[in-house]
Amino acid sequence: MKVQRVSLWLLGAMLILCSVRTHPLRRCWISMDMRHVEESFQEIKRAIQTRDNFHNVTILSTLGALQSIKPLDVCCVTKNLLAFYVDRVFKDHQEPNPQILRKISSIANSFLYMQRTLQQCQVQRQCRCSQEATNATKIIHDNYDQLEVQSAAIKSLGELNVFLAWIDKNHQETSAA
Amino acid sequence: MRLFYALISCFFTDWLMALQSSSGGVSGLAWHLWTHGIADLNLPPHLEADAPFGIVGGHEGMCFHAKDGVASLPAPQNLSVHSTNMKHFLTWSPVILPGETVHYSVEYQGEYESLYMSHVWIHSSGCLLTEEPKCDLTDDITATVPYQLRVRATLGSQTSAWSTLKRPFNRNSTILTPPRMEVSKDGFHLVIELEDLGPQFEFRVAYWRREPGAKEQAKVVRSGGVPVHLETMDPGATYCVKAQSLVKAIGRCSAFSQAECVEVQGEALPLALALFAFVGFMLILVVVPLSIWKMGQLLRYSCCPAVVLPDTLVHGCERAAHLGEARGVCIWKGRSRYPCHQWMTRGSPGSQESVSRIQR
Repeated sequence: MKVQRVSLWLLGAMLILCSVRTHPLRRCWISMDMRHVEESFQEIKRAIQTRDNFHNVTILSTLGALQSIKPLDVCCVTKNLLAFYVDRVFKDHQEPNPQILRKISSIANSFLYMQRTLQQCQVQRQCRCSQEATNATKIIHDNYDQLEVQSAAIKSLGELNVFLAWIDKNHQETSAA
Repeated sequence: MRLFYALISCFFTDWLMALQSSSGGVSGLAWHLWTHGIADLNLPPHLEADAPFGIVGGHEGMCFHAKDGVASLPAPQNLSVHSTNMKHFLTWSPVILPGETVHYSVEYQGEYESLYMSHVWIHSSGCLLTEEPKCDLTDDITATVPYQLRVRATLGSQTSAWSTLKRPFNRNSTILTPPRMEVSKDGFHLVIELEDLGPQFEFRVAYWRREPGAKEQAKVVRSGGVPVHLETMDPGATYCVKAQSLVKAIGRCSAFSQAECVEVQGEALPLALALFAFVGFMLILVVVPLSIWKMGQLLRYSCCPAVVLPDTLVHGCERAAHLGEARGVCIWKGRSRYPCHQWMTRGSPGSQESVSRIQR
């Protein structure tokens, strides 16, 4: 009877340990000063958003649905959205105003740095994409493709505050990280 | 004349140079291109042809640029970047032309631009046509990626070729110095004020009691230039403090500064003083009455008042002598006065010496 009880305890302990391993509490977070990126964006937000003529469409529509997601998905979604901006939005946007160009350059280069940091973190930890995260990213790309390139780029730039707020919320510094 | 217009549209200033220095003039040049094609072109010595950019009106269009160092302003040399505590400065050897003031322009290109749009260069905000061979790039280099930098000199309508930094500069190579700190005590409070290095800096302060086996404590100070309270000190102890700066944007921190120590006045000293004072007071309390009493005794013997001694007193001496007590009473004998006990030692009540009384 005693042996059975001990083995039950052991089994319980093993199950707990295993579950802890499969859902790591630590997550990949971006250790950088987001404040500067947010400040840069604030300075050009008005100018960019007034150039957006399509008020009924939102590109980052699914980000709202992704407010509370699993730690693993945070890494995947961040990676995908950074790639979206770096590979598509900043490249497609032609900025004539030198002042705004400076700020966009600052943001673009900061995003590049964030991608690098995330990549390093990815090597050490899991950054798998769940179906939900993949679908959400696809919807964003589809939204972007719906519009003409210039308009899509301007609109996405105008929605940077949504993305930055999302990063802030999901990449808060934790003592574990 | 479409090709003529094509020539105008690229590198306007260089085309003007062609206009100034070629003897044939532009229309001659254009005519040359129009009829004979690019291969037959005789370019003036200081111009070089770029690759053809396209077909216009059935002929190839072409851009020209000034060759380096040929009858134009020399480009600045020896570009280098010095960066300390996240303040970045680009310096170069000045282009010296006697009697002329040369101006410089600086442009930068982040890694993003290098990878995705390599033709895009951005003017540095503080260094457009600057006179000093120095540029503060702190507000331009705002991401932790390699930046390409280039400078050119301008004199009037002449501009030099671009001189580019050999190796791109990444701000994570900045030199972080240990922060300057002012350690002070406000009563028993240990207070530190660190130098203000800007919003990107945080500080880690370590402090400990200078005694064997004391544990080091740490505190994070978010910004410099403001006094921060570390701890309330125990009296009589010595506390030491050291600090290092931390820049999250590049994930690096400086070395720790030299430790600075402060000592607190102990309460033990006042205690000793109080004890000493108490002992002294007690001594005084005992000694003073004793000495007064002793003084009184002496006075009774040696200091006799010049008063009329009533008979009773004289007789008092006798009586006192009779009683075996003749101290403290004085009698006159002639002009001298003697205390009774001396009179007693000199002679008995029936002595020959007369006892005179002073008549006032």
